[in-house]
Amino acid sequence: MIQEGTAFSERVWGSDPILQGLHLVRAFGDGGALSRAVDDVSLEVHRGQFVLMMGPSGSGKSTLLAMLSGLLRPDEGRVVCMGEDIWSLNDKEREQFRLDHCGFVFQGYNLFPSLTAREQIELVARWGQGATSAEARDMADALLIRLNLIDKAHLRPPQLSGGEKQRVAIGRALVKAPDLLFADEPTSALDWAHGEEVVKMLRELAKDNGTTVVCVTHDHRLVPFADRLIDLEDGRLKRQSYGFHGVTDQIGHPMQEPGEIQPAIPAKPTLRFRATP
Amino acid sequence: MSYALTTLWHERQRYLTAILAVAFCALLGSVQFGLLLGLFSITSMPVDNSRADIWLGAPKVLGVDLGRPIRESQALARLASHPDIERVEGFLQGFSYWARKDGGQELCMVVGSRLEPGSMGRNTALERYPELAEALTEPGTVVFDESDKEKLGVQKAGDEAEVAGSRVRVVGFVKGAKGLAAPFVFCSLTTARPLLRCFPGQITYALGKVKKGASPEDVVASLRRQYAPAPPKADPLASKDMGALSIQTESQKEAAEENALGQDSQAELSIFTSAEFSRRTRVHWLTKTKGGFALGYAAVLGLMVGAVVTSQTLYSATAASIKEFAVLKAMGIPRWRVSLHVMTLAAWVGIIGIVVAIPAVFSLAAVAEMWGVQMKLEAWLLITVSVVTLFMAIGAGLFALRSLRGVEPALLLR
Repeated sequence: MIQEGTAFSERVWGSDPILQGLHLVRAFGDGGALSRAVDDVSLEVHRGQFVLMMGPSGSGKSTLLAMLSGLLRPDEGRVVCMGEDIWSLNDKEREQFRLDHCGFVFQGYNLFPSLTAREQIELVARWGQGATSAEARDMADALLIRLNLIDKAHLRPPQLSGGEKQRVAIGRALVKAPDLLFADEPTSALDWAHGEEVVKMLRELAKDNGTTVVCVTHDHRLVPFADRLIDLEDGRLKRQSYGFHGVTDQIGHPMQEPGEIQPAIPAKPTLRFRATP
Repeated sequence: MSYALTTLWHERQRYLTAILAVAFCALLGSVQFGLLLGLFSITSMPVDNSRADIWLGAPKVLGVDLGRPIRESQALARLASHPDIERVEGFLQGFSYWARKDGGQELCMVVGSRLEPGSMGRNTALERYPELAEALTEPGTVVFDESDKEKLGVQKAGDEAEVAGSRVRVVGFVKGAKGLAAPFVFCSLTTARPLLRCFPGQITYALGKVKKGASPEDVVASLRRQYAPAPPKADPLASKDMGALSIQTESQKEAAEENALGQDSQAELSIFTSAEFSRRTRVHWLTKTKGGFALGYAAVLGLMVGAVVTSQTLYSATAASIKEFAVLKAMGIPRWRVSLHVMTLAAWVGIIGIVVAIPAVFSLAAVAEMWGVQMKLEAWLLITVSVVTLFMAIGAGLFALRSLRGVEPALLLR
């Protein structure tokens, strides 16, 4: 069953996308070695969605995430986030935009080795939000409780397992209550038990906070948790589909069958879209 | 505890090099300048080892060892004229030549004073040798520090030598009165006069003791007002109208002062408290000999080495956390906040380095003293060295900030 994507999105998620990528292009190298990592990709993400961007290595998914999140300037195209064309902002304004609206989780945890789990979260609250030390502590503890890590609040990264470290990293990303959370391969360094735990927590906390999650992964086991899948191949959008997980269904009934294909926003000059019926 | 201090504690092995480098800087600065001050404090030893509160000497005297003869009666009378002066006495000091038995000559510093117990000019080095003080009352007798025996070609008490053509007999030796370049030769005022070729009725200094409860500073200020330099005689207009019109070039002033001195060398006398005169003497030799500059260069080199090591340690530590900083940057944490963290780290490295250095400095001073070398660790010196070292550490932190240029969040995406 092929369904018109825009109509479906509007029915389920509302009409205003929180994030739009329009005809994004990013190339690396020059001359004969020029390689288009992302080649004319357009997409929309709606508020509250848990979006998985998938694809094989080199498909351009991380580059696309970097452009969508305001970390990497596209060669062509625009990114409109919460009504703001983020690449028309200057560096300082874009930094402020990320501070106000964006959280990040990376594959490598990237926690300060000398700080405790609580301090990793407090640090962002204090330096980013200007919270007092008491406020930051309360904010950190509230998140650590939800992350089931309050007993380990005093431990430092070397004393935590990989899954626990990634949960701390999620806490650090969510302490600012961002509108958007960008995650790059958050489970690839974890075994499945820990990976599942992390992705469940990420999804639950994001839903509770009303945070939209854009997650890059090549781990197909995350698909059941996604509201939406975006497949990339060779830098181009291969297909968009809605995952197993119900969009608004809190009791596990999918609102739509898996694998339903959404056409992408028409590309320039022609749609490069290889849908499989 | 700040995040910087937490980081420092948990990564102490990484930061140890920087802390030790800072400690080395503080140590080097304190020890070198302490030794220098200790060395030059020898020049002011006759002042420091006296009981006098006030020193009155020839005009514009630069240091205690550079005094010139003044009229004894006039100097003592002027000093004694102040109501807060309890007693006065004469003092003689100056360079002379010591002729060794082997024919060689040595520069020596003759110090002549009254010798009775409680006299102001008697050097405290003689306190432990009352029999020597007694023996020195015999004209033509001298004592000096036992470490100067070889230099002056004297083997034992009773040996004779010649100073400025006058025969002297060494009656003994003291400890703790070693001279810098010229050995101190202690004797009575009577013995000192011919050794310094001083005429009867001349002294080098008049020493004064103030009454109990009186302030030497106030007495000196009062004496200075009373015996203030006479207005330059070369320019009577300026002297008459000093308050209203004081247009006078430096060279005119100097010429006028020279003229004034030439007409009456006793017109203006130098009057100091003991502390002032001691400092004046040391500062004169410190600047005159350029010794301060030589050691200063070494201390600056030490500071540079410390700065480079501290900077490199902070740089590599910051570079090691570059991914963590990149996450913060991705989340929009402003760069200045991360820079402030690095600077706080630098400041803590500085403070801890200084704290480590202080006991080491005092231990080295104690060891030096055991070897007979004086290290003068005055509070102002330690504070100055600490402040300079702290600024060095903070400067090193500023230099290490260049590592943050490489913080690029997009690199975290694989």
